[in-house]
Amino acid sequence: MDLLKKLFEEKGLKVNWEAYAGLTSLLKEELEWARELRRREADWSYIESRPEPLKTALKLLVETGDLKLASRFNSIPLDELNEERVKAKIPLVVVSLRDSGAFAMNAER
Amino acid sequence: MDLFSLYNRLLVPFAVFSEIKREPARSFAFALAVERRLLVVPRLEAVDALALRILELVNADPSIPPIDPPEAYGLAFAKHAGLPLLTDNASPKLASLILEELSGVAVLDSLDVLQAIYSGETLLKALREFTEDTGVKFSARRLRELGLA
Repeated sequence: MDLLKKLFEEKGLKVNWEAYAGLTSLLKEELEWARELRRREADWSYIESRPEPLKTALKLLVETGDLKLASRFNSIPLDELNEERVKAKIPLVVVSLRDSGAFAMNAER
Repeated sequence: MDLFSLYNRLLVPFAVFSEIKREPARSFAFALAVERRLLVVPRLEAVDALALRILELVNADPSIPPIDPPEAYGLAFAKHAGLPLLTDNASPKLASLILEELSGVAVLDSLDVLQAIYSGETLLKALREFTEDTGVKFSARRLRELGLA
């Protein structure tokens, strides 16, 4: 964390570290929940039936939820992989970043 | 399209627009551009420096999901132009909540947009249709925020 703070300071970006601690903790919970949902809802027989590198890309997508990462690492066009994602019933999960009053001031619009 | 009941037009940075490669999405985007409802924003020097810092710092932190250059640019452009950024990814929203330089930037996800357009039963119906069409789902906590779960 100290190294991170130093890095941010050197780049001239001021961070609300109190909000950072709460939100990254919340995000970790939310991302784990999302990963479980993707694992549960994915059509694994469809995924296993796909040729490489699609099969690996879809499995990476289930684990990370990161469509662009899975696309880039497997050299598959983003929109092609997204079409495969829909067929494989892998949801893209939108998570919450608003938990307590401590962060509501920034989160409110 | 219902989105245009909220906004007159969408500004799409060139780096984001160039990611739309396949049909029918590409034709759809071009049709909106012809109608002047979608404007492609060229790269601006004034935005580059902040975009680069966001990119480097978010990606240096393993606690935060990575952000890619087009999205970092979109976030920096939203700050520069004083406009909301529409995205379903968590990183830009988190960055807007923790970086003082980005305070005041509204980062809106699909549920924010749907809720701004619809209410009551119509919202629930729109939400179901959106999920069926896109395969995008919202976490239980996210739905609870809006009293939808």
